[in-house]
Amino acid sequence: MSRFFMNERETLVEQALEGLAEAHGGLVDVHTDPLFVTRRVPAAGKVALISGGGSGHEPLHTGFVGSGMLDAAVPGEVFASPTALQVRAAIRAADTGEGTVTVVKNYTGDVLNFSIAAELLAETHRVEQVLVDDDLATQREDDGGPGRRGTAAVVAVEKICGAAAEAGVPLADVRLLGQDVVARSATLSVAFEACTNPMTGKRSFELKPGRMEFGVGIHGERGIETRPALEAAGLVESLVGPLIESVGIKRGHSVLAIVNGLGATHGLELGVAARETRRVLDGLGVNIARSLVGPYVTSLDMKGLSITLTALTDDLVKFWDAPVRTPALVW
Amino acid sequence: MTEPNELTGEQTKAWLLAFADRVIKDADELTELDRQAGDGDFGWNISSALKRARTNLEGENPAEVFQSVSDTFLASGGTSGPLFGLWFGRLGAGPSAPWAVSDLAKAFDTATGAVRRLGKAEVGHKTMVDAMVPATEALAATETRSWREALQEAARAARVGADSTSGMIAHRGRASYLGERAQQVLDPGALSIAWFFDAAEGV
Repeated sequence: MSRFFMNERETLVEQALEGLAEAHGGLVDVHTDPLFVTRRVPAAGKVALISGGGSGHEPLHTGFVGSGMLDAAVPGEVFASPTALQVRAAIRAADTGEGTVTVVKNYTGDVLNFSIAAELLAETHRVEQVLVDDDLATQREDDGGPGRRGTAAVVAVEKICGAAAEAGVPLADVRLLGQDVVARSATLSVAFEACTNPMTGKRSFELKPGRMEFGVGIHGERGIETRPALEAAGLVESLVGPLIESVGIKRGHSVLAIVNGLGATHGLELGVAARETRRVLDGLGVNIARSLVGPYVTSLDMKGLSITLTALTDDLVKFWDAPVRTPALVW
Repeated sequence: MTEPNELTGEQTKAWLLAFADRVIKDADELTELDRQAGDGDFGWNISSALKRARTNLEGENPAEVFQSVSDTFLASGGTSGPLFGLWFGRLGAGPSAPWAVSDLAKAFDTATGAVRRLGKAEVGHKTMVDAMVPATEALAATETRSWREALQEAARAARVGADSTSGMIAHRGRASYLGERAQQVLDPGALSIAWFFDAAEGV
């Protein structure tokens, strides 16, 4: 027996979605063959917003399906891209005739399969893509590589684009808005312990006590370096400093701060991290106008956290504040 | 009434069955190439997709037949599978009638363009595109009215293109991580495209 709450590995994702429908049947519908999730009450006459990617990041993305956020989410297997067939089916189901914006995290398989789905529907559907690449840890000077990974800024993009679509903003402008949120956002992550993949039962890397992995992603990969573990105050400073610099946030600016648990970090710890984020930014004269604290973009059971900062405008605050009703986000 | 020079749905099915048979028979050869230059699952992935495609092959005209093949590739993981699915899927957007040589040329041009764009691969990158592009160009340049002769020209061009990948340093795909270490290995994606055009021979 494995130490995971699951039956066979092959049915893990689908059975987890049956559970999502069980818990939130009023909000979402789960489709099988191929697998995707739509909102229970279909939207009408608005741009459709769709996202997806590998499973193992719950509540991302299936937990963000509902009014004011995603119209559909397409889950892959654990840490694996969904197929183009799933994405195509989701676009067909969610498009109300006003076009579709897909929110895609920057990973080769995700980009490829979302792009292929859009290409195959080129004659019948208008599909635009927002590419989320917020992870500073994977920034490279040369242009040859795959570019920055997409991580927790995807929540800000989905919330803000979701509100804009709900408000009747047209297709091209929803995409531009999403791309603007990406440009205004940066994320850094740190972990004290790797995640354990339920498919293999193995931990993705080992860390000695007293060490932490700086710059981890959300697929169990190692970070950019192993450092001595710090207490919360110093740790948050080491994350926030590079974010501020990267996005060009100055004294007097307002930001959205997402303090995100990677799966096995307790609410108590995230609370401390949120407090320290406030303290560090206060010291720099930067105003946290909005914040989101909790496990939203997880990496299975990784014991770590990420901090995302998004430089805000009045428009972005308005869309952030707009009502949302999904399994994982409600206000 | 179908012109003798037009490719029918039945002939397209026979072409794809011949392609599937070749890939399934020689999957080990593709896998061996991928083992040297990638992660060794290429032959298995493509032959299992074609095994499934073989049982779902349907359609009244070439476009519908290609569409039915496309879906089985699109349901597969990795990178090559979806790109094959895209290629067949765009072929599936061709005219819903038997295809003249000009239809073949146009459909393959659209499909190959989509693979180049989304796969971000060009000739010389050591990928399936190294066989697709010369085959597509051969179809566009052919002066014959017979689809058989046009596809024979495409097959010759695809084979030359596939052979040229031996000696290339890969810029895309798994082999790009190996650099010069995989330089002399033929690209299995390009080789399978050459086999695809070859398979039209006996139809």
